[in-house]
This record gives sequence, C-alpha cells and structure tokens, in this order.
Amino acid sequence: MATTTAAVTLTSDLLSDNMSVSASTTCMKAGTTADGLDQMEYGYVDLPTGDEFDLVGATPTAGKASKLYLKNHSTDETLFIAITQNSQAIGKLFAGDWMFIPADFHDAAGDIAITANGGTNRICYALFHEGIALVAS
Amino acid sequence: MATTATVSISSDIAPGFGGISESMTLTQAGTLTDIDSTSGFQIRKLSAVAAVDLITMASELVEPKDSVAAKIFIRNIGNKGVVDKSVGVTIGIKAEPIGLLYGGDWMMMPLTCIDADDITATPATDDTVVLEYVMFYEEA
Repeated sequence: MATTTAAVTLTSDLLSDNMSVSASTTCMKAGTTADGLDQMEYGYVDLPTGDEFDLVGATPTAGKASKLYLKNHSTDETLFIAITQNSQAIGKLFAGDWMFIPADFHDAAGDIAITANGGTNRICYALFHEGIALVAS
Repeated sequence: MATTATVSISSDIAPGFGGISESMTLTQAGTLTDIDSTSGFQIRKLSAVAAVDLITMASELVEPKDSVAAKIFIRNIGNKGVVDKSVGVTIGIKAEPIGLLYGGDWMMMPLTCIDADDITATPATDDTVVLEYVMFYEEA
C-alpha cells in the first residue's frame, strides 16, 4: 500500500494560554481503512495576473478522497492568489501561506481555480488522489 | 503575538518525491503584521446526516473582516477515541462542498469570512462524530 502522511502543528498565543495542536493523518482511498492514495501530481507554477486558471488539469474522479496542498511561494507580502471552486470563493493565500484540503471535485465545475493578484505569483501544489479522468489527446 | 502553522507531507507514491515541509506565520492581508483574532478552539458533536454551520459568519462575537487573510483548521477526531477512516464529514462553504474529511483527517483552508460564506459540516452517517476547529481572522 502506498502511504501518504500529512502532519500539522498549529501554535498561537492569541488566547490567554498558548495553544498548540498537532495532528497527523494517513491519506486513505475513499471508504477504506487499508488502502492508501496511490497517485499524485506535484508542480511549481508561475501564475500571471489577469486570468483565472484551473489548478488541476484533469479532474480526479468525483467522490474520491483527493487531498490538495497549495502554497504561495511569492516573497512580496502584498501578492496573493484568490481560490474558488465552482464560482464559490474559498479564500486568499498571501505570500507564504499554504492550505491543505480534502478536494471534492464533484464534477467538471468543481475544479479548483486560482487567480493571481498584485503581480506574478509563484505557487507550489501537490494533489494526492486515487484516479483522474484522463483527457484524450 | 504570533500564530504559526507547519505542515509536513511524506509519500512513497512517486519515487524521488522528497516530501513537503513548510511553515507559515498567519498575518493580516498584505502585511507582515500578525493576525489578531480567533474564534478560539472549539469542538462540535454531530449525530445526524444534516448540514450544520460550524461557523456562522454573521454570528461571530467579534465581526470578521471580509475577504482578507482568514484561515480555518478543522479536524475529524471521531468519537470517544474511536476514529473511523472509512466515513467522514463533508466540509463546505455556503452550498459548495469542499471535500470529505474522513476520520483522523485535518484541513487548513483560507476563508473569505463574508457573511453568506458560512462553514458547513454534513456527516455521511448518523454515527456520532466530533470535529474540532479554530478560525483565525482579522477584526472588522
């Protein structure tokens, strides 16, 4: 079984006592406890301003257990990317920000779309999944 | 004051993949100033296949600023120490499903904090499941 593990440590001193949360999970295929995600895409992209782009070129099969990691590697703190799914705004990743989500990809409209703002943004992404709908050439 | 998040991802899917290890300090939009507000760390127990708001944006005691640099961390911790990785809870924004958070899984996601963009949770089964979550945002 392929094994993909994602761990996070979150700390904050905004509360009266320091908060520290650690979590780790092994990314499994949908509905299973013994079979891990076994396919992935990984890349760095320079994203120019102006247009909205689909981050994932081919749609992973709907209803599967995809996980998406995305980081904005820009260094100017004023730069950001806006992220949407099916025209629903998710949020913004400013320079240095990252996200890790279970991506639904419920249909062709469920692609994750990103738009650069303030200048060309360099992003890194990794999609862990269990199958994609390949596009015929 | 600082809020930081570190992610480490390892995988043997692709030979040569060296893994990912990145940290971020949560800052206010477009600046190097630390983010300044939080919902606090909360848990929510769910026992029915029905959508509920984890975060109702318009009901936050400290109003979040719209369309800036908010983030939310959510984790499915199962129930009473039992974590079932084969079932999960669909996390959504407004009516849009973002993805299914299986037992033990966690997510970190940016937010708009617009009043209509509530964070929803819909369990796949009636079995009790607990989510823990915390939102970081800028005060309006």
